[in-house]
Amino acid sequence: MASFTTKVSDLQANGPIVPIQLIVGAMDEDTLRLDDRNLHAPLSISAMIDTGAKRTVIRADLVNQLNLKPVGATLINTPSSTNVYCHEYLARVILPHDVIFESFVIAAPLQGQQIQCLIGRDVLRHGIFIYIGYDDSFTLSF
Amino acid sequence: MVTQLDEELATYQAQKNNLLAKARGKFVLIKGDQIVGIFENRIDAVRQGYKNFGNVPFLTKEILEIEIPLNFTSNLIMV
Repeated sequence: MASFTTKVSDLQANGPIVPIQLIVGAMDEDTLRLDDRNLHAPLSISAMIDTGAKRTVIRADLVNQLNLKPVGATLINTPSSTNVYCHEYLARVILPHDVIFESFVIAAPLQGQQIQCLIGRDVLRHGIFIYIGYDDSFTLSF
Repeated sequence: MVTQLDEELATYQAQKNNLLAKARGKFVLIKGDQIVGIFENRIDAVRQGYKNFGNVPFLTKEILEIEIPLNFTSNLIMV
């Protein structure tokens, strides 16, 4: 079982933030190789584990950096908007210890520069998430 | 917010009743104004999309009468 524990200064204020890598989906990669097109290197970004997110969300500008193309669109509700269509992309999320998930991620504008991805319950459904508030630490196991 | 798939979404809406009648709960692959195929699962629809069109936008969508929006509680999302 792959597992990692991260200590965060002021976990309550900052949230459970984890460094991840983001890369195109495997099928997209195969297509790009067949077309002899250059693959973008994985992007190293900061993600927050978000149990309030049904699906994983990436910041919209990452789409261009990875040259992702949409394979779907879904309606979302947020605290400030309802019934907004957002693009979906097939991408791989690489967590510490090389735990890889391929998922249909949703692209949306995210506030601020620090958080570039919300790890949603589509990823968490495969693992165990332990939030230790008094210790400012959290553990994620798969 | 969606712009790249506007034509495909319009095609889906225009064909929705026909799709519901013959393939409710399955997944449709749409490119432009063309219904390319119906699939049992989304991965197969996406695979066919990459095979037919390569690394370009296309729409795969579950055929549902009512699309329930996904709820996000984070106020980090600015849409």
